[in-house]
Amino acid sequence: MPADAVLQVTDLDVHYGKGRRRAQALDGVSLEVRRGETVGLIGETGSGKSTLARTILGLVPASAGRVVIDGEEVSGYRQRQWRTLRRRGVVQYVFQDPLRSLDPDVTIADSLIEPLLIRGVARGEALVRVRPLLERVRLDEELLARLPGELSGGQRQRVAVARALVTEPALVILDEPVSALDSANRVEVLEILKELRTSGVALVFISHDLGSVAGVADRVAVMYQGRLVETGTTREVITAPQHVYTRLLIGSAPTLRSGAASRADRDALRAALLTA
Amino acid sequence: MVRRILSLRAGRLAAGILSAIALLAIFGPLLAPDNPLGSSSKTLAGPSGQHWLGTDYLGRDVFSRLLDGSRDSVVGAVEVALVALVVGVIPGLLSVYLGRVFEWTSLRLADTLISLPFLVFAVAVTALLGNGITQAMLVVGVLVSPVFFRVSRAATLAVARSQYVEVALISGASVNWIVRRHVWVKVLPAVAVALAQTMGVGFIVVSSLSFLGIGVQPPAPTWGGLLASDLNYLHYQPWAPVAPSVLIMATVWGCNLLADAIRDVSGETGRALINTRKAQANGLGAKRIPVEGRV
Amino acid sequence: MTILSELRTPHAVPTLPDEIVLALRDVRIYDQVNDREIVHGISFELTPGRVVGIVGESGSGKTLTCRAALGILPEHFAISGGSIEITGQEIAGLTPEQWTGLRGSTISAVFQDPASYLNPSIRVGSQIAEVIRVKTGAKRRQARHRALELLAAVHLRNPALVYEQYTFELSGGMLQRVLIAAAIAADPTVLIADEATTALDVTVQAEILDLLADLQERIGLALLVVSHDLAVVAQLCDEVLVMREGEVVEQGPTAEVLHNPKHEYTRMLIAEHEQYGLERYLEAEADRDGGLTRAG
Repeated sequence: MPADAVLQVTDLDVHYGKGRRRAQALDGVSLEVRRGETVGLIGETGSGKSTLARTILGLVPASAGRVVIDGEEVSGYRQRQWRTLRRRGVVQYVFQDPLRSLDPDVTIADSLIEPLLIRGVARGEALVRVRPLLERVRLDEELLARLPGELSGGQRQRVAVARALVTEPALVILDEPVSALDSANRVEVLEILKELRTSGVALVFISHDLGSVAGVADRVAVMYQGRLVETGTTREVITAPQHVYTRLLIGSAPTLRSGAASRADRDALRAALLTA
Repeated sequence: MVRRILSLRAGRLAAGILSAIALLAIFGPLLAPDNPLGSSSKTLAGPSGQHWLGTDYLGRDVFSRLLDGSRDSVVGAVEVALVALVVGVIPGLLSVYLGRVFEWTSLRLADTLISLPFLVFAVAVTALLGNGITQAMLVVGVLVSPVFFRVSRAATLAVARSQYVEVALISGASVNWIVRRHVWVKVLPAVAVALAQTMGVGFIVVSSLSFLGIGVQPPAPTWGGLLASDLNYLHYQPWAPVAPSVLIMATVWGCNLLADAIRDVSGETGRALINTRKAQANGLGAKRIPVEGRV
Repeated sequence: MTILSELRTPHAVPTLPDEIVLALRDVRIYDQVNDREIVHGISFELTPGRVVGIVGESGSGKTLTCRAALGILPEHFAISGGSIEITGQEIAGLTPEQWTGLRGSTISAVFQDPASYLNPSIRVGSQIAEVIRVKTGAKRRQARHRALELLAAVHLRNPALVYEQYTFELSGGMLQRVLIAAAIAADPTVLIADEATTALDVTVQAEILDLLADLQERIGLALLVVSHDLAVVAQLCDEVLVMREGEVVEQGPTAEVLHNPKHEYTRMLIAEHEQYGLERYLEAEADRDGGLTRAG
């Protein structure tokens, strides 16, 4: 494996259920994320993109394939080994809806330092370490004493991003991080993510909409029905999509540019996808 | 937490009532002006300067018996509640985390306990463990514990499936951490409400068992026991049950108020409520936040 | 095209192309509980086959505007100024009976969460058939026949199968189609789509938008499309209104608003797409091809 890869997934298979109800969620997925790189993981509901993320985090067991995180082969890890790995904070995760991913009864400060406290860092030191992060996600220090319910949606999501960064991870997986936000907040969070790239952390940006990751991602990986159907630089994928699904995806994205793809084009692509 | 409870009117009222009851339980037996067991020929007398609450059917001073019985009554009820709490809540929390086998076993055990006939079981166990208030209350506590088990399990399940617990897991949190940090605060109010209710049940049970000669032995007085015997002489002294009833009601009411206060200050709603009150006090006139219906 | 002729019921009043089917004139909406105005005057006109879009964040007053036009404002909200006319009829003073007659058969709507507008324990087909029976007085068998045609008209691949299914068996995109089928069942002249594609995947959103455009072309439906996404509205609409905190900050033909935005908020909405959307790459590509170049 190349020295600069923070994540390497090879031929990953994941199945759900047992016996006759067993269904394949991931089928031979291979993906590599290099240090400091932003990869957009695109796919529709049920395409397996969240399953892939959850498998990388060890929340879903893989039935075949290899996952290597920061040089450490984690396939076949047991609970205890996972816990040790997670405490190092190498990989962090940001959910779509910060209202649900922040405990409503815990103050912003306590939510932010939680990963550090779990690692055994003293409270006082943890609070000191959190301060510089606030600036990076443009949060006011006075918010620290508040509860999540007292913040706006955009502020909450920035808290969630800050918490993911507090352990200085090598990789952060963001699951639809801007889908629940309104335009102004979306732009703000996207800007923050863009700035993060300079700090050397790798990002996997999951979305159902190629349009929302196009401005931040270096590379794009497109998932369809449990398979990775296309990967390439963002420019390549958008301007010269290979797979039928990718073409439909780009043709479907609402753009300000009229006539990006006509209705007839989309109908043809849909038909092609059905027969494929 | 305590300060926040006391900032609510219900919390202050509960604290007042419950401390009065506690003082009664501690000093009651010492304060009794008359021998609570000493009978006299003046049976079923009305209130007078000598006997403030009159005498009962054996001519014993009712006021003295009430004071003397307060310790056993309160201790009994508290014991029932505490035993039920410990026996119910801990497995309730663990049943969510300790895996399938423990979950299945504990659930079936809770079902079994619910289906056991209360008094018969108490008689059987005291026959085994010896007779005494502690043994009796231990048994009753175990029998009541499924309520706590169910309440705490339900609350824990709801939290365990939340995203913020998953976030903590991704950071490498242990079960212990998750329970202490995220689960406990949400389980507490539900348990507090159940606790208050169990206290009420405790008083009744202490007296029911006295009848069977289990726990507190007659002629030693308890509030429940007094109430029961007063009911037999309702014909002659229709006002007699008022005094023990008032004490029992006050205690149960105090517990319920406390439970309400705990529920209101814990969790987001509770805090929002307090913030709103502060805002109102500061003349900001924030809108009232509705709290779910009383239990 | 057979469906089209079927869709036009004999009793439906034929509308002239230039007849105004929905007109809002300086409509203001007032919140009686908090004692403040929420929508500070909105005006637009819809003619058959025309599409008007409203863009704005949640809380900008766009949904209240839709609800006012449908006569379903929540409890303590009231129209405090201006007028709304549906096919020339002023809605102030309409009785509930008159509203019932109007909704569905003249003005109809689809919203964001389709599942919550359907009964989970009744087959979706039966629910559409019921709308047809109530609104057109059709017989049971006739209504079923029409419902199947409608399901085909909204491009559901297997109408007969979908007819027999329950809400939980259908995907979000399919449910929204079913809801659109129900909304156009009584042959309305105006359809309001309030964030109708927001909860859907991008590809499914495009399918629904294509369907709306198709209906507008085929049966001359007048559309009011409401979204938080400027691009969704731009794709479909002839005229765009940009709303912010109850105020219409910009209004005009779509091309004009996109190419020559006047308000800072509109410019931010456009910048969001240009900096963070596909546009960046697509524009560059188009320029290289010597194709479309944008003014402004």
